[in-house]
Amino acid sequence: MMSTTELAAPGALPAHGPVSAGRALDRWRVPLTVAVLCVLPFVLPSQALAVNVLIYGLFTVGFNLLFGYTGLLSFGHAAFFGAGAYLTGMSIVHFGFGWLGAMLTGVVGASLLSAVIGALAIRTRGIYFCMVTLALAQLVYYLALQASGWTGGENGLRGFTVARAELIGGFSVNLLDPLQKYYFLMVFAALALWFVSRVLNSPFGAAIEAVRENETRARACGFDVERTKLLSFILSGALCGLAGTLSALHLSIVPLDALSVHTSSIVVMMTMLGGAGSFFGPFVGALVFLLIEDVASLWTSHWQLIVGIVFILFVLFMPKGIWGSLIALARREGRAPR
Amino acid sequence: MTAIMSVTDVGRSFGGFVALAGITAEFERNKVTAVIGPNGAGKSTFFNVLSGVLAPSTGSIRFKGQELKGLKQHRFAHLGIARSYQITNLFPHLSVEENVRVAAQALRTRYDILRHRESYPELPQKAEAALAQVGLLHRRGRRARDLAHGEQRALEIAIALVADPELLLLDEPTAGMGPEETKDMVALIERLAADRTILLVEHKMKMILGLSDRILVLHHGRLIADGTPAAVQSDPEVRRVYLGQNDGYA
Amino acid sequence: MDLELILMQLFSGLALGAILVMVALGLTIVFGMLGIVNFAHGALFMVGAYAGLWVAAQTGSFWWALLVAPIAIGVLGMAIERFLIRPLYGRSPDDPLLLTFGLGYVLVESVRITFGTDGIPFSAPEALQGVVDLGVGYFPLYRLFVVGVVALVLLLLWVALEKTRFGLIVRAGARDPLIMKVLGVDVGRLWLLVFGLGVGLTALGGVLAAPMRNVSPEMGTLVLAEAFVVTVIGGMGSLLGAVVAGLLVGIAVSMTALFAPEMATIVMFALMALILLVRPQGLFGRPGAGA
Repeated sequence: MMSTTELAAPGALPAHGPVSAGRALDRWRVPLTVAVLCVLPFVLPSQALAVNVLIYGLFTVGFNLLFGYTGLLSFGHAAFFGAGAYLTGMSIVHFGFGWLGAMLTGVVGASLLSAVIGALAIRTRGIYFCMVTLALAQLVYYLALQASGWTGGENGLRGFTVARAELIGGFSVNLLDPLQKYYFLMVFAALALWFVSRVLNSPFGAAIEAVRENETRARACGFDVERTKLLSFILSGALCGLAGTLSALHLSIVPLDALSVHTSSIVVMMTMLGGAGSFFGPFVGALVFLLIEDVASLWTSHWQLIVGIVFILFVLFMPKGIWGSLIALARREGRAPR
Repeated sequence: MTAIMSVTDVGRSFGGFVALAGITAEFERNKVTAVIGPNGAGKSTFFNVLSGVLAPSTGSIRFKGQELKGLKQHRFAHLGIARSYQITNLFPHLSVEENVRVAAQALRTRYDILRHRESYPELPQKAEAALAQVGLLHRRGRRARDLAHGEQRALEIAIALVADPELLLLDEPTAGMGPEETKDMVALIERLAADRTILLVEHKMKMILGLSDRILVLHHGRLIADGTPAAVQSDPEVRRVYLGQNDGYA
Repeated sequence: MDLELILMQLFSGLALGAILVMVALGLTIVFGMLGIVNFAHGALFMVGAYAGLWVAAQTGSFWWALLVAPIAIGVLGMAIERFLIRPLYGRSPDDPLLLTFGLGYVLVESVRITFGTDGIPFSAPEALQGVVDLGVGYFPLYRLFVVGVVALVLLLLWVALEKTRFGLIVRAGARDPLIMKVLGVDVGRLWLLVFGLGVGLTALGGVLAAPMRNVSPEMGTLVLAEAFVVTVIGGMGSLLGAVVAGLLVGIAVSMTALFAPEMATIVMFALMALILLVRPQGLFGRPGAGA
């Protein structure tokens, strides 16, 4: 008992039941999320599902930074996921990069692409934004389709299996072993989560909140709204690029579908299912989406029909998503009358 | 008698419609100036031009000697110009304190992604001071959207105030307020006027006459009168424009 | 590369653009009035093509398909507005968009279940097969017919918008929604009609396009992106912009296909990027109205 009180003490939280529970949840969100990710391969029905939840969860985290926290709805984030994946694969296939160099290429490349697309898309406002991002991502898709010498075109990019990742000090990870691979990929996801949490807690995190809440007012207060949006867009693109990088290492191929509208759509749905603007929601959304896909595809090839209907029901009746609604419930319980 | 802002021959048109034409005026430090005029006279356009929301089509605006024309709107706040909005314009889902604190942060740091936002201890202090000034400290934990209308108007002012602006533009600060709330707001503006320049748009004539050092009258986008309340009140042109207007002028 | 070939390609582009005009017009009318982007617009284009296919198979007549399918899908559109979108008014503008996006999935899968996943060829009626001599070369009669139908629809739409009370209200309402309250218009009914009209137009585009391409459940995806490109280039909410940009994109794509076929799809996106750089509000858009 002593140890628990000591654990709570450094937080210096006001002791008011659920309110402090909510704050503690915020404070410990990175370790808690990582802890969940650690046990995922053992609690989910398959390890393949666990890796997908990890990768798509991270993809959704990146998307959520832009949509949930900054309030910009993009329908083109496949471009960054796909760019991360393709550049990782291409730098191995064409230039013989090592795994770390390939990953860096993927993330940096996705960031640069998001800077270009972001700079164009941010010139428009509101509902225009999602149309422009969708169209520009289509441009990237068709470019990849045409540059088949580099990308493998319609067949996707193949032939870059990374069997072993050498670490410093002579250690290495066997990426052919599913469990070793999972934890290897998870380290990067964990670092990304720590980074996102820092960004959200930073002054910039407050700035994107202000832009999401009221653009006009944020501008009058002295925020350069366009630059704030662009920076958020680039950070989001970099994270999605990292997810793509992990996906390439995981699958050892990059399907052309990684750049498609479908991939952009999946991340929107996962965000909405889990709860836009919540830290852990993306993983809940990814899990639920992938479970629906797995379960429904067992008895019908038309599982997308079910996904579509579930999504519509969420928009109509649970716009905060699963995790978002749970948090809202906890907050409401905890709000002391003042 | 030093002017903090001088406006020279400022005009603004939308397509073919001239909303503002040839306005020339100077605003003196630490004075309260009111802008009045019938609906559609160009008051809102004038305010939007002065606060950088709209760029002037013609003319020049100088603030403490610096030309403002061509600057992006967010720069205005950094130079020391803050505004409130006629229609309440807050960060609805943030708490009262967060509303003011993020406004204070805009002038301090904007793109820092690595430090914690709590590592700027002066921000909560500034927020607290601004909230105390408008009498909202006891509501600091409430979400902005849950406040009463009068409290939201006060928060509106606190957000502008936290930047410690030298020039404060108030767009109908008492809009939609009852007599009691209006009285409080007038007292607040009088306190604020002690050490800063205030420019306000208002419809409530009685309030303006009591509060202002000077009144500008706009009509059809032109400045038709500029002087002390007494001088403006007896101006024949102004009387003609307002005749039959039910603006509470009588 | 001789002049005749270029002229012929220009006509092809006109036919392609005419279809885009139908789709983009539907999108922009709905946006102008209701302020929402219909993400199921491409899927409804595809559903229109399938509905045309079905009606033609039942009646044996392309003409019935051309008449009945757009009206039927327009009615479906009204049902969508009434039962799915209306509950979302007053919420974030992203919500109707997300909802129609989910609806797109449902429509595509429903068509896959009903008609199968493979593409189905759909041939133009006998009377419209063959070619005509345009003086510079032979041109497929059906494409000429498409341009003619779209021109006729545009004329009807113009008359309806400029000369009728309905049109007056639509135009006024697009500029300032408050006006409709002053005029005492039943906004709910108007929005229902406008949404139905927008969906009907894209369905008509689908039926017209069917004999020019394979009818497949995926045909709506590219069309949606194309409609977005046209709308961004023309200017959101501008009907004239949708027409001009639609034809422009059609011609640009078809001319590129002549010189560099692999760049044909890419060129319209590049065109959009260029417009965003130099004129973010679009060719006919009002500054500030979304850009």
